[in-house]
Amino acid sequence: MSFPFIDFNGKIARYPIIQGGMAVKISTAGLAAAVANAGGIGLIAASGLTAEELVAEIKRARSLSSGIIGINIMFAVTRFKELVLTALREGIDLIVTGAGFSRDVFAMGREFRTPVVSIVSSAKLAKIAESYGAAAVVVEGKEAGGHLGTDKSLWQILPEVVKAVKIPVIAAGGILTRGDIKKALGIGVAGVQMATRFVLTRECEVHANYKNLYLKAGTEDVVLIDSPVGLPGRALKNRFVERLLAGEDLTPRRCVNCLKKCRRNFCIMEALERARQGDMENGLVFSGERIGEIKDVKPVTEVIRELFTGVES
Amino acid sequence: MAGVFERVKKIIVDQLGVEEDEVTLEASFIDDLGADSLDIVELIMAFEEEFELEIPDEDAEKIRTVGDAVNYIQDRI
Repeated sequence: MSFPFIDFNGKIARYPIIQGGMAVKISTAGLAAAVANAGGIGLIAASGLTAEELVAEIKRARSLSSGIIGINIMFAVTRFKELVLTALREGIDLIVTGAGFSRDVFAMGREFRTPVVSIVSSAKLAKIAESYGAAAVVVEGKEAGGHLGTDKSLWQILPEVVKAVKIPVIAAGGILTRGDIKKALGIGVAGVQMATRFVLTRECEVHANYKNLYLKAGTEDVVLIDSPVGLPGRALKNRFVERLLAGEDLTPRRCVNCLKKCRRNFCIMEALERARQGDMENGLVFSGERIGEIKDVKPVTEVIRELFTGVES
Repeated sequence: MAGVFERVKKIIVDQLGVEEDEVTLEASFIDDLGADSLDIVELIMAFEEEFELEIPDEDAEKIRTVGDAVNYIQDRI
């Protein structure tokens, strides 16, 4: 099976799977490179990085893999344009963008002949993305982790999007098994994007505490919070989330203006950073809805092999 | 030809399905007129078409109220 839908600077992925971007610094070079080496497409999460940090991550990923490496970035970050241009200048293979909709990013991609993929949660936005020149759309349903653009299930939106656009459609949010991939392919997608599963891989570089919390988490631990970005976010219940849901005042005392618009109900960068460093009580841990079904830490190659054994496109 | 405000108001009423008298210069698209981020993208696209303008991301992000839109457009046509 091939993944021929866009020209990634002459590289074609063996398997139609994108490892979804997870910020801040959850999907870093090590994970992205491992996925690229296994025949998928690896994404470095650029949101929350400085331009220098992003350059270093891209170089590190390139040193580990000659496969397809992209970045994921949310439009809501102040440094959006700077980080996109940085990645393009570094010769990144693709840009995946979500959490808000940039119309200028497509012209930036065209200038560098780099495909731009939009994360959308409706047929309407998919069509707009297509009209601006998106190489593909990732359709994300409410099952996804992190920031959400909809409260509808992927399986409800997906057929509408497949019908609405001619560009390749990639299914995301709640994709976990070979059966899910087959089901999505049956609806007419070109591939899938998965993120939560890839946290529980040997190559994901996040703190061991983070992986342990993921391993322990059950379906009942997954909740929705109001992100300062202005979108709902799917996360795991812990002390921090409980304080937030209880309406405690967590207004940030310091601010580095990392977001273009921030609701300031808490500092998301600090909260994500605390979790990344292993403080699982006071950090914010994003996760997809189906975390409870993932029971083990595996090498990336094994995850991908298991997903695609016997799957025909 | 109708004034900029009248033309902007018509677009907003059509796109957001709000009443004409809700569309004041002070009204915020998100807080007062109930627009979501997708609505904003569509509104900006409609303004571009109506007034034959190109509105870059950076400018679009600063347009928060009806008055912001009217002023921005008036300065450029």
